Amino acid sequence: MTVFFRAVGVVALVVAAAACDETFPSEGGPLSIDAQLRQTLGQYGVVPIGPVARQDPALVELGRALMFDKVLSGNRDIACATCHTPSEHATDGLPLAIGTGGTGAGPARTLGPGRSFVPRNAPTLLNSGIGMFYVFWDGRLTRFGPPLPEAPVPLFGEDVLQAQAMLPVLNRREMRGEPGDVDVFGNPNELAALGDAEPEHVWQAVMQRLLGIPGYVSMFRAAFPNSSTASLSFRDAAAALAAFQIAELTKTDSPFDRYLKRDDTALSPEAKRGAVLFFGDARCLSCHNGPLLGGRDFASSGVPQLGPGVGRGAPLDRGRGELANFEFYQFAFRVPPLRNVELTAPYFHDGTIPTLEAAVRHYSDVPKSLRTFDPATLPAAFQSSYHGEQRTIDTLLATLDFRLRQPLNFTDAQVADLVAFLKSLTDPAARDLSGIVPTSVPSGLPVR
Amino acid sequence: MSVSRRAVVGLSVFSLCLITPSRAQLIQVKTLPLAQGNQYQIFPSANLGMASVSIALADSALDPFVNPATGSRILASRFFGTPTVYTISQGTGGGRSLPLALLVRHAKWYGALSLAVQQVDPSRAPQSDGGVFVTDLPPPPGGGPFGSSTVPTQPESESHGNQFAFASIGRRMPERHLSIGASMLWNGLHAVDGVDLLYANSRRLEQSGDAVDLRVGALKEWPTDSGKGARSLQAILLHNRFAATHTVTYADAIWNPITQQFDEQARIEHNEERTNTWGMQMNYQIPLAAPGWRIGWLAVANRASHPKIPTYELTNVPAIPRDPGYTHAFNLGMGVSRVEGPARFGIDLIYEPISSYTWADAAVPTPTAAGDTIAPGGKTIENRFRFSNAWFRLGVEQPVKEGAPTSFQLGLILHPIDYRLEQQDNVQLTSRSVRATWWEWTPTWGLSYRQPRFELRYQGRATKGAGRPQAQIFFGDIRALSAAGSTILAAPTGPLFMTDVSTVTHQISLSLPLR
Repeated sequence: MTVFFRAVGVVALVVAAAACDETFPSEGGPLSIDAQLRQTLGQYGVVPIGPVARQDPALVELGRALMFDKVLSGNRDIACATCHTPSEHATDGLPLAIGTGGTGAGPARTLGPGRSFVPRNAPTLLNSGIGMFYVFWDGRLTRFGPPLPEAPVPLFGEDVLQAQAMLPVLNRREMRGEPGDVDVFGNPNELAALGDAEPEHVWQAVMQRLLGIPGYVSMFRAAFPNSSTASLSFRDAAAALAAFQIAELTKTDSPFDRYLKRDDTALSPEAKRGAVLFFGDARCLSCHNGPLLGGRDFASSGVPQLGPGVGRGAPLDRGRGELANFEFYQFAFRVPPLRNVELTAPYFHDGTIPTLEAAVRHYSDVPKSLRTFDPATLPAAFQSSYHGEQRTIDTLLATLDFRLRQPLNFTDAQVADLVAFLKSLTDPAARDLSGIVPTSVPSGLPVR
Repeated sequence: MSVSRRAVVGLSVFSLCLITPSRAQLIQVKTLPLAQGNQYQIFPSANLGMASVSIALADSALDPFVNPATGSRILASRFFGTPTVYTISQGTGGGRSLPLALLVRHAKWYGALSLAVQQVDPSRAPQSDGGVFVTDLPPPPGGGPFGSSTVPTQPESESHGNQFAFASIGRRMPERHLSIGASMLWNGLHAVDGVDLLYANSRRLEQSGDAVDLRVGALKEWPTDSGKGARSLQAILLHNRFAATHTVTYADAIWNPITQQFDEQARIEHNEERTNTWGMQMNYQIPLAAPGWRIGWLAVANRASHPKIPTYELTNVPAIPRDPGYTHAFNLGMGVSRVEGPARFGIDLIYEPISSYTWADAAVPTPTAAGDTIAPGGKTIENRFRFSNAWFRLGVEQPVKEGAPTSFQLGLILHPIDYRLEQQDNVQLTSRSVRATWWEWTPTWGLSYRQPRFELRYQGRATKGAGRPQAQIFFGDIRALSAAGSTILAAPTGPLFMTDVSTVTHQISLSLPLR
């Protein structure tokens, strides 16, 4: 009996060893790189982005003023453009944003006393006015459904950009301030004194500020000639901010867009190789797809955790999984569109990846990248906010998007090609946004 | 075996839905290494932990549900409760079943009754949030948004339930050493595991349908030869009808070139799946000269007709219309077993040739590349599959020590799948040949505790070697997709990324004699 069992075991092992040999059918003959790329682009719905609708100039000018005016913040010390600064291509160059109380601008901005970082990276506003499925890293606002409880705005649907503009003024850490704060003039911060459960009161208070400034009254009248001053609301201010973003921050004339318009010379050979990789073996298209190369999906990308965290998951940030009824999206964040990505470092929801090359290398082997992350690559002020405990890393790996679980092991040449392709997504006009900055704002507060 | 597989598969899934215990009477066909849950493990089994060996070794718990004539072997009426749970790794599926079964015997009559309820989880990865991107439609009149309608905002995450009911009756004819029986299994279907994976970009899938499995069986057991055990011959004739409707909701994102925005629009499709199968099985066992040893032979034949099979939308896999068609499938096997008191051993070797022929009908007069026209009803695509599959099953059961009431079981199932597809496109006048091979292997284990008043079994199995498609979004022209019934939609331009997963099943079986 024993001998027989051994014999059967040997047979089983031989058969099992043979099981390691598996074959699958392979593809057909080679194509030129342009033919290959155009076939792929056609299949995956990548189309050039056309011009956006012209915005009302008066609305745009009002939006420009509001974007740069610190009067929207409770302490009158931070404007939308502080975290979405033109010099940093409509983001701030920091891993995590620094809200009210902070000083300085761009990457040199520092936390104010007793303040903590905004939990997430300030996303660029470049192209925020086109093709927007979701806004915010957790996608709490969408064009295709009512806002979630976490985004208490009275707008939804096509007004998603407008709705987004209504939220930072409610956020205490970003713009509103804490109870007891005083503004830059030493006056009580009346916005911070309002309760969190009544956003309408905050918006009304902001509008009260704005309409107390003659320059704004005339700008609102020009932008909304059919509305009385009394009927104006912060929704109108948000509409102006949205119009400004669409008019001034839509930058889509990249070499890649020119290539999509049949200009074969628009991309370098490196960028073409990178594109073939991007849409092929590197699987990037699995998330970064459609005309915007992203924006419609959520993924748990194994990004190191940094910052104070969000909600019940704090000190971790569970991303979309923090939202009610979206618990299964643990540590998943919105996949950002990729136009102009070259200009908007650092990357991911908490800005832990400093360069485009590092981002590509992260995807080359996500588990390894997460395990070996060196917080010394972060700016000094952020290093102590890194959550590198083994338990956290294990949790992130356990919830890692299964598209990213297997290493891709890019060669250095492939990394370079992918980076070249990503750089081909840059509209040269996005490199210098200094022209969108007003010389002054109606409140008289400093613009920079 | 590599954990992740880049299967450049120019194929579609062809998976007959089974509504029967996982034995050989109905032969499963699949053309993609798609992991499937053990959803139909709803009956008690004494051999599950020993690789379900069956050709030369009886399964005292399962056999009466497979061949209703074998109910004659039960010595006393028994009650079974068999809660079964399966999970598929990477969070890609799972299910729970609670079957209750009764085997009864009275004089020359015997029968079985079983009821089961089941809950099946969605198979899709939570991150999947896809839809079809449509980027080449002309702008809507007036430049406004495309017509919008309410679409589900996120993939479905709720579980759905199925119901099973089984009944059999049989009679012994001792004078002829013959038993006969008949059985019926009905399955109310609302959740077939893995089907949602096959509609990769959908937001919602509602399944409804039912399946019926009718069988008649016979068991001939010759008188025992001097303590060696009886020769036996089993025969089963079965008819299986599967009918399901899949109501699929897609959330298509339509690029509006005027607004440079997406408009989202619901698209609802109703797909029907119909498969009718006739099958027969013969199983002959004889004792060998050495005490306790038996050898058995198995022959199974199935003929399945597919009056309607959906064309699934698997990302990056060109849809192959397979409507209608038929399949012939066979099992030819040999098994050896040994029973020595409570110790049991069994081995099965099965060769499984299958041929399948399916085609797509032209819905309208269809011009070909040669300039002539295929009339409505003519064949636009013809697919010929030739499979050479095999099964190897090996299992043992051994008491933990001599005379102990506790036994353990171990087993291994290996299932190589190898096929070739010859596809003829009568419209483009092209043909292609594809070969695919993969292996699925399943270690099994079990533990049993026997007392005169009850028998308790725990058995498990874990299948590896198959995968689940990753969440991906398909981009293309919605109008082309809607024409899926009559043409190949796309050349195989990209890989289907499958992630290997494990399907783990746990079954606890409590058996109580009724008197």
